[in-house]
Amino acid sequence: MEPAWLDGNAVAGLLAEALGEEMTVVERECGDCGTVAAIGAYRAYLGAGVVLRCPGCGSPGLRVVELTEGFSVSWARPGAGPAP
Amino acid sequence: MAGAAVLERLTVPRAPVLWRVARVREVVEETASAVTLVLDVDGWPGHVAGQHLDVRLTAEDGYQAQRSYSIASGPEDPRLELTVERIDDGEVSPYLAGVARAGDEFEVRGPVGGHFTWQTADGGPLLLVAGGSGLVPLMAMLRHRANSSHPPRDVDARLLLSARAAEDILYRDELARLGDVMVHTTLTRSQPPGWEGSSRRVDADMLYELGPRPEERPRIFVCGPTAFVESAADLLVVLGHDWHAIHAERFGPTGS
Repeated sequence: MEPAWLDGNAVAGLLAEALGEEMTVVERECGDCGTVAAIGAYRAYLGAGVVLRCPGCGSPGLRVVELTEGFSVSWARPGAGPAP
Repeated sequence: MAGAAVLERLTVPRAPVLWRVARVREVVEETASAVTLVLDVDGWPGHVAGQHLDVRLTAEDGYQAQRSYSIASGPEDPRLELTVERIDDGEVSPYLAGVARAGDEFEVRGPVGGHFTWQTADGGPLLLVAGGSGLVPLMAMLRHRANSSHPPRDVDARLLLSARAAEDILYRDELARLGDVMVHTTLTRSQPPGWEGSSRRVDADMLYELGPRPEERPRIFVCGPTAFVESAADLLVVLGHDWHAIHAERFGPTGS
């Protein structure tokens, strides 16, 4: 069975629209495992919104949900515990 | 705070992202299931090899469907080209690779993506690993390399291409003409008589034999279905390649 994720590159257009800039080159340090990786290298899980998970440990780093009027954007704060 | 779920949440307005009208200039049959759409897009700002764009189709009742497609043309090519593989139960590709004709119009947004890109100034050596239509953005890189007036041919480039059968290979004639690119092809499902390439899934031996060695610090781009990319990226890491040097782009069912 095909794995159920893509990567940050696949949702570059959505991220640009939600965050106003090209996000795939932005590097982020995972608060849980310390992996530094570009958002383009994050695993992207698509459902009602998009959850981007650290490629090192799978911890969620960013969640974007498209609303009728804009987007809900949630960043896991560096050093924070695992998000739901 | 240990174990607490801390997410900084904010609601942001929609950024003004420009959708442009793309007009189909020409449809080129590539394989039985893939076409290249040659497009005219007013105000197209240009792109970098490896980027993609989002295509949005709007039905008469207002229903919209949107998908991402890699740009196949090099930045120096006169026209913007997308190569689209038809997914029979897809929402967008059956139109793009089956129904669309010269003169048709749809909306595009882009170019998008900056992580999975390569320019000759980035240097090499270049190792490209393609699964099926994952070849499309890698072809843009090879076209960029071939078109550049600088000495891009100094950039060593190698391509490992995995396809099901010979008739599924995109850009076959063009690949055959890329004399200075080392191309190794593996056909995983069926092979023509006298086939001299590989006939198994991409494995460590195949990647090792194609090279370059990790010490040469190649820039690596892997594109294909998620399972293909995960497997190839793992093999590259096992062979000693730097995790950060491996750029991957996955495609597959999107769940929407």
